[in-house]
Amino acid sequence: MTFLKTLMLTSLKILTLMTTATLMATATLTTPAFADSLYEDLGGLEKIERFTARLVDLTFTDPRTAHQFKQTKKDRLTKLLVDQFCELSGGPCAYKGVNMKKSHIKLGITEREFNALVEQLQQAMDEEDIPFHTQNRLLALLAPMKKDIVER
Amino acid sequence: MTQIPHSALISALLFFGISTPSAQANEDLFGSGKILATPGVVQVEGAGGAGLSTWAMISGYGTNRQVGASAHHTYVTLDDFTLNATGVTVGLFDRVELSFTKQWFDTGDAGARLGLGQGFNFNQDIVGAKVRLFGDAVYAQDSWMPQVSVGMQYKHASEGAIVRAVGADDDDDFDYYLAASKILLDKSLVLSGTARLTRANQFGLLGFGGPNGGNHSVQFEGSAVYLLSRAFALGFDYRTKPDNLAFAEEDDAMAAYVAWLPGKHVTLTAAAVDLGDIALQGRQQGLYLSLQVGF
Repeated sequence: MTFLKTLMLTSLKILTLMTTATLMATATLTTPAFADSLYEDLGGLEKIERFTARLVDLTFTDPRTAHQFKQTKKDRLTKLLVDQFCELSGGPCAYKGVNMKKSHIKLGITEREFNALVEQLQQAMDEEDIPFHTQNRLLALLAPMKKDIVER
Repeated sequence: MTQIPHSALISALLFFGISTPSAQANEDLFGSGKILATPGVVQVEGAGGAGLSTWAMISGYGTNRQVGASAHHTYVTLDDFTLNATGVTVGLFDRVELSFTKQWFDTGDAGARLGLGQGFNFNQDIVGAKVRLFGDAVYAQDSWMPQVSVGMQYKHASEGAIVRAVGADDDDDFDYYLAASKILLDKSLVLSGTARLTRANQFGLLGFGGPNGGNHSVQFEGSAVYLLSRAFALGFDYRTKPDNLAFAEEDDAMAAYVAWLPGKHVTLTAAAVDLGDIALQGRQQGLYLSLQVGF
């Protein structure tokens, strides 16, 4: 029991240290200089084009989302999304589409459909080996759009 | 305030076995539409949260048009005691959470030392309800506004005569809490803080109130979780507790844990816990394991 107690005490201390260290590392890593380079961290335009093409493929075939895109032109959507991801991440692009609220107002998109698209984006970025924490930085920029996209 | 969508009401009717002629929409009622890890896990009292802390998230993977539910078993082995907890937690339309958990606290050899008898058990039933008031912990990434929920837990300790003999005023009571939680997605962090009004001695296992405090007092629970990857999260909880009983001191509790989420249906949490001094048996540290299955 003494050994078990020592083991647990040690593991508690290590875990606490790890958590503290990770939190501190995160705090120092999120300086503005780094935040601006999300476009670079995503792998630039080439990578963004690749995972966006894959995202749209998934969106058009996944039964959770496909029905919402029957009237959508695939190439045009891909181009708009590339511009949007590129611009949001600080890249040299400009999104020229209609604003999010106007373009989704009558579609009745549900939370589940919206989340399915997020999961497809995660899968597409995984397949391009974009690190989890870099993915989360892009998702953090996209997340607030939910209030304009999902039905009320 | 947001109204419950009409289709959610239809879903609720279907859920309770009342058939309606209208066709079910494309939404799958039990379709686990939330994103992995975003509802947190089930904590030791059966509420949505993590480890020892209660969060503002509504447990389960149901979205605002869906229902989620899970069952958990939690095992904590301490220096002198063993705690087992089993329960079910249901999330309704990402608005209301209901839970029931039963806890068994085995005193082992300490039971004999305390004159209760070898392996004496203190048990309790915990019925919980939580309502999300406002905020969106996951999507409101452009503001600091957390998701805020209120909840209560009715706790009933099994050994009324014994808990009164050690000085507790009652063997059952309500805890009330206000929880605020936020996912800081760009930092892959989850932060949560809860204020709890409680009279519970050792979570309620040793009854409620006592010579050093008969009224509800405000206690705090805090969590910080770092999302290491999609399947692994590393977290730390701290929880303060009242110190109502005169026969033994009660300390704050803490836990450091790793949660493994291989998918939305299974979660395993392993933690090192320090629950402080319990019933004159010295500082109680140990291992916490919790398995949760659900949708």
